[in-house]
Amino acid sequence: MSMSVSLQAIKMIKTSDQVLQTESQTTRAKQKKQRQRNRPRNKRNRVEDSTTTANNTTKSSTTDSAPTESAMPGDNSQQDATREQVMAEREAKKQAKQAKKQKATTPATKIITEVEQTTITTKLTTTITTTARDKPEPPAGTAEPAAPIAAVTCPASTGTETGDKTRDQIKAEREAKKAAKQAAKAAKSSGTKVEPPVQKLANLKVTDKTPTLTAAPSSAADDDKKKPALSKAERRALQEAQRAAKAQGQGQVKKAQPAVKAPGAGTVLKELKRESVSPVKSATSSSPSKNSLITAKSECKVKLFNHLVCAEKGASLFINDPLVHPSMARLGVQYAQRTVVGSNARCIAFLHALRQVVQDFETPAKKEFGRSLDAAVKHHVDHLHKCRPLAVSVSNAYKQFRNQVTQLPADVPEAELKELLVHFIDTYMENQIGKAAQAISSSLQEKITDGDVLLTFGCSSLIQFICEEAKRRQVAFRVIVVDSRPTCEGQEMLRRLHAHGIPCTYVLINAVGYVMAEATKVLLGAHALLANGYVMARTGTAQVALVANAHNVPVLVCCETHKFSERFQTDAIVYNELSDPNDLVRDDKCCLKNWTAKAHLTPLNLNYDITPPELVSAVVTEVAILPCTSVPVILRIKPEIGY
Amino acid sequence: MREQPLKEVTQLIHAIKVGLVEGSFGITNKTLDIFKYIIISKSWKNADALMQIVRAQCRILQAALPQETVTSNIARRILKLTREEFDLLHAKVQHFTDDSQASLSLHKLVTQTSESNVSVDYSVPQQGLREALLDHLQEVETELETSSENICVQAEEHIHSSEIILTLGHSRSVENFLKRAIKKRQFLTIIVAECAPACRGHNLATSLAAEKNVEIIVIPDAAIFAMMSRVNKVIIGTHSVLANGGLRAACGAYTVALAAKHYSVPVIVLAPMYKLSPLHLCEQDAFNMVGCAEDVIPYDSIPARETKVYSPMFDYVPPELVTLFISNTGGHAPSYVYRLLTELYHPEDLEI
Repeated sequence: MSMSVSLQAIKMIKTSDQVLQTESQTTRAKQKKQRQRNRPRNKRNRVEDSTTTANNTTKSSTTDSAPTESAMPGDNSQQDATREQVMAEREAKKQAKQAKKQKATTPATKIITEVEQTTITTKLTTTITTTARDKPEPPAGTAEPAAPIAAVTCPASTGTETGDKTRDQIKAEREAKKAAKQAAKAAKSSGTKVEPPVQKLANLKVTDKTPTLTAAPSSAADDDKKKPALSKAERRALQEAQRAAKAQGQGQVKKAQPAVKAPGAGTVLKELKRESVSPVKSATSSSPSKNSLITAKSECKVKLFNHLVCAEKGASLFINDPLVHPSMARLGVQYAQRTVVGSNARCIAFLHALRQVVQDFETPAKKEFGRSLDAAVKHHVDHLHKCRPLAVSVSNAYKQFRNQVTQLPADVPEAELKELLVHFIDTYMENQIGKAAQAISSSLQEKITDGDVLLTFGCSSLIQFICEEAKRRQVAFRVIVVDSRPTCEGQEMLRRLHAHGIPCTYVLINAVGYVMAEATKVLLGAHALLANGYVMARTGTAQVALVANAHNVPVLVCCETHKFSERFQTDAIVYNELSDPNDLVRDDKCCLKNWTAKAHLTPLNLNYDITPPELVSAVVTEVAILPCTSVPVILRIKPEIGY
Repeated sequence: MREQPLKEVTQLIHAIKVGLVEGSFGITNKTLDIFKYIIISKSWKNADALMQIVRAQCRILQAALPQETVTSNIARRILKLTREEFDLLHAKVQHFTDDSQASLSLHKLVTQTSESNVSVDYSVPQQGLREALLDHLQEVETELETSSENICVQAEEHIHSSEIILTLGHSRSVENFLKRAIKKRQFLTIIVAECAPACRGHNLATSLAAEKNVEIIVIPDAAIFAMMSRVNKVIIGTHSVLANGGLRAACGAYTVALAAKHYSVPVIVLAPMYKLSPLHLCEQDAFNMVGCAEDVIPYDSIPARETKVYSPMFDYVPPELVTLFISNTGGHAPSYVYRLLTELYHPEDLEI
């Protein structure tokens, strides 16, 4: 029976041979190889039927790990296997060459993306990836790791039998991964021998994406050099960094300034893994936001908001300004494109860029260090403000920094002053954001008990931190994430909480009344706390607080004191920020699509709203849990208590 | 008791489920047509039999489409009509026999109901009942057709020039009402909350934007509270009005009403009479339904695998958040709804 099956298979291949007669010698060789491979497989099927245990074990070993060729069952002749190996090696070389020529076929790139994560550590050893493109084919030592790749590309390119192909692919992918891992190990130990294939992987990757991409991930990866075994979170951070870099590639800053590659940028992105880069945003920013670059310049059509000037997003802003430090220019683009969002993330990114500016600052001749630095930083902050109105946290940090600059001692060498300022920036970051978050979290932990249902809105790094901490304490609680269009930041929050295994419920904001009955506490993040006790936060926060109030659910606003603002405001219209109205357009089928053509129609995309203090039960700060009305007190005593 | 649905009823149920018939008005019209067909058909011999048939078909409709209360509302109207016409004809017959009872004194009006309820036997065949019913049905039909227009006419009474009006989602009566207001008043600003995930507010906005002298602002649902401080009036439609004067409205209406209450903005609800239902439900769990969650979060996203996602269709708005109902017969306070209900339906038909 099995013979007939194999005969059929051969026949099939023969017919396909007839079809493909015009094909070149190489394809014929491939088919030959495939035929050889088919034969043992059919036999193996028969073996499966008869359920011989010994053969079963060999089978399982093939599916598990070992390369396809060497794992062929033993009842076939040994010669076949060796011949196949030779063939495979030849194929591998051919394929590799072809891949170089044709900028990689699709299946090849598919593996690369698969392997990307595991090889990211090995890439550390070969930071320069772009130059290696036209190197000659690596010699015999590399044949083995290269073989799996060929194994994938061969069946895919011939494409005669679909069922086997997919199975082969899966196997080969596994092998590729394994090979990559081995390569990584080898790289750790010796580093020299396995380099070429890794480089090749990198090459393929380069051909897949734009050349600007690789710079940032590799620089980000540089920082992780110490810990080669990447944790899940770190890998995610890297991915996010790549995404950010991609978004930035669109901003066209990179081409103008290769210097942006500086390691500082990498660290920023790494630091921001907590909250910063919203992938949802960068994913959706493709078509509508490009339009907005052109259209957003015209003033707001809604008369009520004429005073809120739309942030100028003209491309002219982002081309190279000699006075703006590359790190600040990059930050400006990230602000404008909303790749860095959330007031904590914006503040951290700003401080990192600021540190870079301080470190790279050179005092002009016959000028005082402090004053010239102050002027330079002011210019940078103005630039950032043009890109997007500054967050309260950023302007507070800037104020503190300026304060520090003016108080610099006079008779100290410049290097030491820089050291002082860098130290100040680092401690500000650590105390105001890092330790504050810990303090808030620890004071909130006693409020979260078993059976609690926390309701939160949008995405807040602080709330996420608190939830993770509670999960670590093994409290049995769950979270309801309320979200709103168009930004859908809640999906990001959901992803992060989900990654920590916290059970979640997800609704849009108009369904908040539906789930509010379940909630026992409402935790909200804030953009800023105003001096009159109003909470400024992402649009929708006030609505959630309102519904919570109607259901008598306590509303806790979590806010570090570095976000306290001295401004007074009683409604969301006097001062606000307008985002791109095109974000409201759902898709191409949406009837709002050509709203610009209609004179009377305007989508309005407000960024913030103001929650009145009567809707907030308490504000949780690192100092204490306070009523909203105590904000001015904190503002007054803050310099005294050293925050 | 097993009741077989009529062919027309099954067709209607199918059409509604597939989405061929949309909106309360359309459904009401079709249901009325069915009941008219039942009345015309010769399948009933007396009022009692007719009422049985109507009840049975209504129960089937209700079971198949629990969210569409208008079908049972119409059935109740038909039942009430039947009772009235029967009583009238019955009284006429009696009138000939007993002339002395012709004058209706106030005393009689008060005492009459308690007696007649017990005594009336609807199973007695009555001459001319069918014709009388069809006549009366004609009235109901015209009332239905003109209800939207009658509501629109009142736009001028409620909207002055350069007002800022907020509405939610897309309701046909609101659309007509606002169009009328735009024609009559100048410099209106209309804020439309999009009502995610279906975003039907976009349709309303584009439809209204065709008019002149008006400014349309589309906002995401999250910005309702932020904008409410500038709004003069909230005008919304509803799915049905409950017996206590509360609303069963599109999801998001509760937030709108709460925000309006917070800023003391009047909430005007447009509800034609056929949307009044004698249902005493006072929390959303009693009637709410959840829709498809795909629009809320894509199924293929990673967290969606283990996350509970809700996309409820309705919101319950308590009567204290509603300022005014505008129906085709005029304006009503929420506290007056119970009275309208007793006029509209017979007390015995509240339970079908």
